[in-house]
Amino acid sequence: MILTRKKTLMMWEKLPFSNDIERYWQLLSVLVPQNLNTRYRGSFLGVYWSLLNPIIMTTLYTVIFGTTFASYFGDSIINYMFAAFTGLLVINFYNSATTQALSSIVINGDLLNKIKLPLPVFPLSMIAANIFQFIVGSLPLLIIVTLIKTHNILFVFSLLLPFSALVLVCTGIGLFLSALFVFFRDLGYFYEIATFIVWITSPVFYPSEIVPARVQPFLYLNPLVPIIESLRQISLDGTFPEFSHLMKGFLSGIVILTLGCLFFRKVQSSFMDLL
Amino acid sequence: MDQEVIRLNNVSLWRRTQEEFSYDLKRTVISFLQGKYIKPAKKQVLKDVNFVVKSGEKIGIIGSNGAGKSTLLKVICGILDPTFGTVRVRGNIAPLIELGAGFNMEMSVKDNIILYGVLLGYSKEEMKTRTNEILEFAELEEYGEVPVKALSSGMKARLGFSVATDVKPDILILDEVLSVGDAKFTHKSRERIQSLWEQSSTILFVSHSLEYVKDLCDRCIWLNHGEIAYHGNTQEAIKLYLDSVGVKEYIRPPSAL
Ligand SMILES: Nc1ncnc2c1ncn2[C@@H]1O[C@H](COP(=O)(O)OP(=O)(O)O)[C@@H](O)[C@H]1O
Ligand SMILES: [Mg+2]
Repeated sequence: MILTRKKTLMMWEKLPFSNDIERYWQLLSVLVPQNLNTRYRGSFLGVYWSLLNPIIMTTLYTVIFGTTFASYFGDSIINYMFAAFTGLLVINFYNSATTQALSSIVINGDLLNKIKLPLPVFPLSMIAANIFQFIVGSLPLLIIVTLIKTHNILFVFSLLLPFSALVLVCTGIGLFLSALFVFFRDLGYFYEIATFIVWITSPVFYPSEIVPARVQPFLYLNPLVPIIESLRQISLDGTFPEFSHLMKGFLSGIVILTLGCLFFRKVQSSFMDLL
Repeated sequence: MDQEVIRLNNVSLWRRTQEEFSYDLKRTVISFLQGKYIKPAKKQVLKDVNFVVKSGEKIGIIGSNGAGKSTLLKVICGILDPTFGTVRVRGNIAPLIELGAGFNMEMSVKDNIILYGVLLGYSKEEMKTRTNEILEFAELEEYGEVPVKALSSGMKARLGFSVATDVKPDILILDEVLSVGDAKFTHKSRERIQSLWEQSSTILFVSHSLEYVKDLCDRCIWLNHGEIAYHGNTQEAIKLYLDSVGVKEYIRPPSAL
């Protein structure tokens, strides 16, 4: 009779959707602005700085590779440029979301030693801050590209599908990395190599057709490849994305997220001794 | 009124000793390949702790440094999970373990009040309506828009105390926190704790100022090397504790709290 509160709490913890969502929501609503604030020193325009990188990279790629690869993009350098740009947006989102999630638990170790907080909220807040940044910064550009190429508002909405798959992938990897970083503080160094592999195996600045046919299937092990392909099909070709690509994107998203969550839950009880 | 709010049954806690752990992927992999990997050592910090706290009680916890007082409070707050045994807590806890942990130095005092309040478990809307009251109690009205890094450490502690005690918590946990702030604020915080107690908040209180423990606590737990060495009358607990460390009489330290 006495200990009802604790009991219901434990029951809720076993359910995937619960009242805890309210607590997570409250925490995210203060942690996300805090993240953005520290990153941009309170200047809202700062979000647009994050666009500088993909724009410069797109320009460079177009100048260097544009003429060579234009033939794969309907003989149009402009098409190549748009394709490189969408690819870069995806890769940049992936890199910054997962890299920021990586250290999120450790940098809040002090806080976690003083107040009881749900541990996953820290990597999640990093992912959420990046989603916000994407919606404010990159998405309007992507929408403009889509409208220019397709003249159809319907395709704008279907952009959300591959983007959701991307968020699933990043959340799973972010949870996994943030947990592993508690144990291994030199993980950042190894993860840099991994992000390079992800970047080079994603057809961002080259058309996937130039990769030898025998190697191509391996590219699809990279979860970002089907996501980039779907985004390009929507925004550049103006077709509904191939169902198989979309399925692959979501499937890898769900698998990675599940594995990430399971790993996080398995090891989180040892965190407090190492923070 | 006599409701049980905290119950610890046979609580033991083992913690990893940090110095043995390498935190290094490269070295861990190499030592694994060489077959030299050692499982990290663990040390028992709490040994078979049992006690029950009823609603409205004020419990002092005393013991030498490293006895496990802070650890015990963290187990009660749920920050640490016991290795064995069970902890049951009913009601919301305000942990004042180290005031101001969780402040963002770059953000303004007002934003930090909301941030800290939400971290402690209150809602954002609730905190917004309380901001002015909290600033007033902390005597920081003129500092609302100032970044927290511009406050003195005493001011930060005042701010932390004001946020954590602004709402009446069911259980208040104080871990050596009342030594902060100037004379006036010390007096004020004492008064607030007094009033929280009168409103029947349960208080767990760790302090090295035994005078204060004597004044304030109905019961006292003496922790020694992670074990409860004595549990009961406050006077008796203080006497036993002082005897064990070989001090005849307790001398008030320079800072009274
Ligand atoms: N983060 C930690 N990891 C491992 N051991 C710890 C940690 N913090 C404290 N300890 C150990 O736990 C014991 C109790 O510490 P603590 O509860 O802080 O003591 P007290 O608050 O009574 O001074 C000490 O022996 C200390 O070395
Ligand atoms: Mg202590």
